[in-house]
Amino acid sequence: MSAVEGSAAGSGAAALVATDVTKRFGSVEALRGLSVTVREGEIYGLLGPNGSGKTTFIRCVAGLVRPDAGSLALWGGEPREAVAAGRVGYMTQAAALYVELSVEENLGFFAALEGVDGVRQRIEEVLRTVDLLDRRRSVVGTLSGGMRQRVSLAAALLHDPRLLLLDEPTVGVDPTLRRDFWDHFRGLATRGVTILVSSHVMDEAGRCDRLGLIRDGRVLAEGSAKELVARAGTADLESAFLTLSEGATA
Amino acid sequence: MNPRRVRAVAKRIAEQFRRDRRSLGLLIGAPILVMSLVGALWGSSTAQVSRIVVATDRAPAPQLVAALRRSPALAVTETTVDEAMRRLRDATVDAVISTRVGFVSTEIVVVMEGSDPFRSGTTLQSIQRAVLAAVSVPPIPGAPPAGPPPVVVEYLHGGPDHTLLDLLAPLLIGVFAFFFTFLLSAVSFLRERTSGTLERLMATPLRRAELVVGYLAGFSVFALIQAVVIIAFTVLVLNVKYSGSLATIFLIEAMLVIVSVSLGLFISAFARTELQAVQFIPVVLVPQIFLSGLLVPVDQLPDVLRPFAAIMPLTYSNEALRGVMVRGLEIGDPVIVRDLLVLAAFGVVTIAGAIASIRREVA
Ligand SMILES: Nc1ncnc2c1ncn2[C@@H]1O[C@H](COP(=O)(O)OP(=O)(O)O)[C@@H](O)[C@H]1O
Ligand SMILES: [Mg+2]
Repeated sequence: MSAVEGSAAGSGAAALVATDVTKRFGSVEALRGLSVTVREGEIYGLLGPNGSGKTTFIRCVAGLVRPDAGSLALWGGEPREAVAAGRVGYMTQAAALYVELSVEENLGFFAALEGVDGVRQRIEEVLRTVDLLDRRRSVVGTLSGGMRQRVSLAAALLHDPRLLLLDEPTVGVDPTLRRDFWDHFRGLATRGVTILVSSHVMDEAGRCDRLGLIRDGRVLAEGSAKELVARAGTADLESAFLTLSEGATA
Repeated sequence: MNPRRVRAVAKRIAEQFRRDRRSLGLLIGAPILVMSLVGALWGSSTAQVSRIVVATDRAPAPQLVAALRRSPALAVTETTVDEAMRRLRDATVDAVISTRVGFVSTEIVVVMEGSDPFRSGTTLQSIQRAVLAAVSVPPIPGAPPAGPPPVVVEYLHGGPDHTLLDLLAPLLIGVFAFFFTFLLSAVSFLRERTSGTLERLMATPLRRAELVVGYLAGFSVFALIQAVVIIAFTVLVLNVKYSGSLATIFLIEAMLVIVSVSLGLFISAFARTELQAVQFIPVVLVPQIFLSGLLVPVDQLPDVLRPFAAIMPLTYSNEALRGVMVRGLEIGDPVIVRDLLVLAAFGVVTIAGAIASIRREVA
């Protein structure tokens, strides 16, 4: 894995290109022609209410869901290829961990699957990042929801992926640690890691390089937080989101 | 006791049941399934026909041979003692009847194959009836019937110094292994599916086949530990007598567990809750207990049930475990080889099913 030194805020090559992606679950149209391009070293935020299709899109990117139509490429190839090559880290919306196992055992398992070298040391590093080093031997089932989120993030970081998929990563995480998380994400992006993060928390959105406002499986508007606020002519991002989505449905 | 609150709880349970059609169906359907099995098994009057050989070079009295031949429960062939004993060792016949000159009179010697206690019991009963029928027909009309000739019963396997447990414990080892690994793998893979960890795993370089083989390996280890404990317990505490090599027993166990674990992984795709996974027991396991030769010899099953026995993995593991542990067969014996090959074929099918069931969910 060569660390492609991406200059600030994603001026690199496209890491993720999604064009007109649609996905239907029975009668529910989760994605209706969603198009997004994310550059290397960029933090791209998917911002939208519950049920707008954020998780479904991230699952498509992780190669877990095959779009019904449209195209989706990671570095020009199939998502599965990038996943198989260990270039993708996925933090699921609800922490997907083995509750009977300890923090360390969970991370050891995922590290083995991802072929991480120097497992012990790497586990220590990621646990320090999520500030859980002292709970390494705790059984996951005994941890709070926020702590499990942190273990889940640690598992996604283990193999130093080039693309990090974060589905509502800071739910249940207290404000101080939330700020540390975002500092860490920024640090990763500066080193060229591409981050696709979903959220319905507006104040987090300001820390993304670019945002896609998602509603009903489509991107309504795209741009930096500043641009979106300016375009809507509102005071903050929350009202901007409302104004822009009303404009789109009207 | 507030009747309103009690009613609310009862109503909620009824509502949950209504949503869970499968539990409701099984509540009714499983007993019907099991009862019709039992009905077909024990309700029909297809009596066992035992295959016996009369030794021509040491033949018993002609009227006994005639009585044996008259019995509808016996299929009688005649050959030399050596050939008859060879067939007995191959378990292609159930008993050999010959004579031996004793001190007082000539004894009738019945050598039982003996590895299947239920089959032996029926066979011996039929032979004894024929012996009694033979002596009740006086050689000369009008003369008083002669006393019954002395009958000596010997056993190739089992016999009086063996208990029922000695003969059934080998099969129970297979049944336990199948039951627990099926149930545990179904439940733990169901958890993997419902807790999101399966999806999470599919977002790593792990391949589906690697996941399935990993499960098989993990569970096989525990099944073999289970087998060691059961064998040690039955030998040391229950004084069960076994023959056969431990390695061969382990190989049979491992093949069976590969089938049961991959079947468990596959089945877990059709359950949404752990309760629903457990509900597969009467469907998957109970018929196997009835039809796999544990209670009734497979070739004595009613015609309608025999095809079902043929598609059940436990049928083959039972035959193999009985072959090794009671009859003392070696791994190279054609019976064992065939059983292992059939179990391997089952394994290929269930592993393919398990892998396909993972694809079904994760696009
Ligand atoms: N596996 C699925 N089966 C059926 N419907 C689904 C499935 N996954 C998502 N959906 C539906 O698709 C829509 C988008 O869901 P999701 O992508 O989870 O939204 P978000 O993450 O933005 O809250 C919702 O209406 C949801 O109910
Ligand atoms: Mg979501």
